[in-house]
Amino acid sequence: MNLSTHRNNKKILIAVNTSGNSRRAVSYVSKILRGFSGFHVVFLHVIDPPEEDYFSCRAEEEKWMVQHGIEIDRRLDEYRQIFIREGFDPKALSLRKTLRYGPSVAECILEEQHRLGCGTVVVGRQALSRSEEFLFGSISSKIVSHAKDCTVWVVE
Amino acid sequence: MKTMPNQTSVRCMIQRWFPNYPNARVVEIHTDTTDFFRVGYDDVVVLGERAYFIRHNAKEGRFGLDDEEKFWVKRAFDLADGSRKIIKLVFHERFSSRIGDIEFECFRSPRKEARILELVGDHKNFMSGYAIPDEKGNIVRVLDFIYGKPLSILIEDIQSNHETYFHSEFPAILERFVGCIRAIRFLHEHEEKHGDIRRDHIIVDRENEHYRWIDYDFNYRQRENIFSYDLFGLGNILIFLVGKGDVLLSNLRREKHPALHRIRADDVNIVFHNRVADLRKIYSYIPENLNRILLHFSRGANWFYESTDQLLEDIETYRNSVEKIESRLKSDTTGPEENPPKIRLKERFADESIDPS
Repeated sequence: MNLSTHRNNKKILIAVNTSGNSRRAVSYVSKILRGFSGFHVVFLHVIDPPEEDYFSCRAEEEKWMVQHGIEIDRRLDEYRQIFIREGFDPKALSLRKTLRYGPSVAECILEEQHRLGCGTVVVGRQALSRSEEFLFGSISSKIVSHAKDCTVWVVE
Repeated sequence: MKTMPNQTSVRCMIQRWFPNYPNARVVEIHTDTTDFFRVGYDDVVVLGERAYFIRHNAKEGRFGLDDEEKFWVKRAFDLADGSRKIIKLVFHERFSSRIGDIEFECFRSPRKEARILELVGDHKNFMSGYAIPDEKGNIVRVLDFIYGKPLSILIEDIQSNHETYFHSEFPAILERFVGCIRAIRFLHEHEEKHGDIRRDHIIVDRENEHYRWIDYDFNYRQRENIFSYDLFGLGNILIFLVGKGDVLLSNLRREKHPALHRIRADDVNIVFHNRVADLRKIYSYIPENLNRILLHFSRGANWFYESTDQLLEDIETYRNSVEKIESRLKSDTTGPEENPPKIRLKERFADESIDPS
């Protein structure tokens, strides 16, 4: 595939977590694309565990990872079911999880978008105040400003 | 010291540095620091091959609580050479912190501080020390005491008025603070963050006047940008230094300051809405290119610094512009008695400024 032209393909990456923003984004895309054939949707979750120092011991960290894994698997399946209920072929839906690498979740998402050759990235907008966005950053804002060779949908 | 010190050897070591220490007193010797409340004044903590004589608990003001005692942080003396130390014991504290109207989860991190101590070594802009596990594996940090005062106190102690300060003392202070920003850049390049950048976490080392960061054990649940909280801290300190202290709206109102009517909602600090960020509206001689840097930390900012490199670049641009102007002034033939450089500098910036109103 010529990656420089994949912005025109029908492969869509929806970056999700367990928040209501993600559910809204998933629901929106499923309704917009309903009835159209040829789309392939990847639900991507970037696992962002607390730093090791957050946990007092390794066992506590492992427990967190297991519990988070169970929760996110459940959510990913829920999102998949939303699309199936809208008539999508289950074979056209993929689930993907990756551990955060590097200092930015947004950069991980864009890296995965590039690696998977997705022409569109979808993300839900967090309801952050300006102060919060300033102090901690905004995934959707960073995706919008750093995305290349693709289309970005930010769902409110 | 290859064997565990006993009462006699420990008392000998103590009396070497504290000759008045009573001979008969039984010394409590700790090799397990898990319960830091049990490690008290006059006790000795043995870590590896070194023994430390414990004195008072450290105190610090934080978030409105002045002089809160930190029971896990002990002042001490190294009994091998009599040097002063700060010993930080393990305290896995998790708490909710509030800054402005934002609440976020924080935690203490001995491992983070240990990593940073190893990373920075003898770097002149960081406190130095080392980390060592005690008998139970608690990661204890032994820090070299820095003789000096916090940068915040240094600034507050400056007696001159703002204009004199800005032209005479601020340039050297800024240069040293730039060293601190570069030091934070060094951490970020190694994927570490300071985590608690505050004006009282820079100590001005009395021996060499270096500005040195302290306290790296504070950490928080990071979100999208793991360095932006550090950048916010740097911006706050820069505004503090440019303003020779915080310029508070409440003080301006109390003084019925003539600039008050020019201050807009967008001119205040993006998080601390009682602090003015657009300092040029108060001190018109602050150059526009410096003020623009401060505005990146204001409520009206539409773009935020994403890295220390970006902040440093803008500060260097400002500093270069000041140097150019100063060297132009020096090359003028007019004598200093007739035209003092400071006034001419102000006139120069007035020429290049944009009327803030």
